[in-house]
Amino acid sequence: MRGTHFFKHLSFISSWRISSQPRRLIHGVFPSPLSQRRLSSVFRNFSTSSSLPTTHSLTSPYFSVRISCPKDSADMLSEALLCFGASSTSMDEQGSDEGNDKICIDSIFSDRQDVDVCISHAADSVGLKELPSYEVRVGEQYDWIKKTQESFCPVEVTEGLWIVPEWRTPPDAHATNIILNPGFAFGTGEHPTTKLCLLLLHGLIKGGERFLDYGTGSGILAIAALKFGAASSVGIDVDPQAITAATQNAALNKISPNKMQLTLVPPDGRTHEVVEGQSPNSMGVTTESESFDIVIANILLNPLLDLADDIVSHAKPGAVVAVSGIISEQVPYIMERYSPLLESISVTEIDDWACVCGTKRRGLTVN
Amino acid sequence: MSSLKEILTRRPVSATIRLTVPAGAARPAPPVGPALGQYRLNLMAFCKDFNARTQKYKPDTPMAVTITAYKDNTFEFTVKSPSVTWYLKKAAGIELGSGRPGHVVASSVTLKHIYEIAKVKQSDPYCQYMSLESICKSIIGTANTMGIQVVKELD
Repeated sequence: MRGTHFFKHLSFISSWRISSQPRRLIHGVFPSPLSQRRLSSVFRNFSTSSSLPTTHSLTSPYFSVRISCPKDSADMLSEALLCFGASSTSMDEQGSDEGNDKICIDSIFSDRQDVDVCISHAADSVGLKELPSYEVRVGEQYDWIKKTQESFCPVEVTEGLWIVPEWRTPPDAHATNIILNPGFAFGTGEHPTTKLCLLLLHGLIKGGERFLDYGTGSGILAIAALKFGAASSVGIDVDPQAITAATQNAALNKISPNKMQLTLVPPDGRTHEVVEGQSPNSMGVTTESESFDIVIANILLNPLLDLADDIVSHAKPGAVVAVSGIISEQVPYIMERYSPLLESISVTEIDDWACVCGTKRRGLTVN
Repeated sequence: MSSLKEILTRRPVSATIRLTVPAGAARPAPPVGPALGQYRLNLMAFCKDFNARTQKYKPDTPMAVTITAYKDNTFEFTVKSPSVTWYLKKAAGIELGSGRPGHVVASSVTLKHIYEIAKVKQSDPYCQYMSLESICKSIIGTANTMGIQVVKELD
């Protein structure tokens, strides 16, 4: 399974120069929205195929191995390491004034057992005469999570509209500021598709509309709609982590629960059943089919094609439906699928990303 | 496929990262998280971009991704479809190639399988200049080294 096609026989190398110095574990003070229980539940259904490492957990430590090897076999060794079980490899660029001919490869493994075997197989498969020296370090998931969060800065989507991470102060206190802590859900405001959708909402909302955010992620669009003046927002998603993140973000922006409803739905598009099956809650926000003035789905091409009928069914006749999360070359497929359902279709693009927007045809039969 | 201007104004590279991610299923979690997070790359942007570009592959196919991280925390990446051997093993329904190719046959695939695999491989960056016929020949060669027989039709 581990790439035996690479070569016919293995010769284990006898001299091992290993120094493993695990660094002191940092026991996670995890950032606020992430609790260990929630994180492990997200990865319960992580996809496993025979060629991927099976233990992916956000709570267990990972192992970072620094391998030193000759420059000219570095590329091949990186590829071989991936074949034999490494999760990833990375090589830092070396300055040209480095005297030695050695380069360091940092490789990440999820399982300590795999490390030694993998490196020896990989080294052998690229023809290295001796086992490269390497050092194993334990990394906590917290390390990279924190680094990623540090890279979020306030983003000005358009004049007077800022997306600000929770831990920073808004640069302009008088502008419309959406405070976010995205956690692991999509939607920080930086991505071109989020911008496209936000600009669309900004232009569309006059006040009092009912908005459906199909695939809400961090809840950014639902929150933005309310800030622009919509009457109420409903956000649905198939990812429980997204609903958690969106609920927290709603609280951060001081949105009352009766203005914004967030629901987890099954991935097969039976959103109406779930939503109508709920007893009308005390908040008074119920969703029946054909009840929204604006529906936006910023997800991916395949779900947009599969769920087209469901997405459009939530809109009132003549209401605006917009879809995004597609690259420009995928627009023809969307057009083909949505033309029977929508009219006056227009496409806006930023960089290589597109947003397709139209109004629901009147007289469509609702399944 | 860079223009001269791009080559002259190339940004300084800080690292080259390689990993395997299932098509359409990138998430800001291991393996993507630790690998990209330590270079402060925008995980969400990568996941969204990668997922959008791999929509045409069957979901969860393991894709080989090579990411070039620049010193200004921007990045570019290229995606390669799984290796020919992976496709052949899937088509033949086996986990391992033959232990003794040429002598022991592990399994068989039909010419139609070869053709389908060639069509997928044609969109790979390094195969684009090859004719479909030469890609097929190369795949049949790989099948032979794995001990997989190519037959016209399966009985």
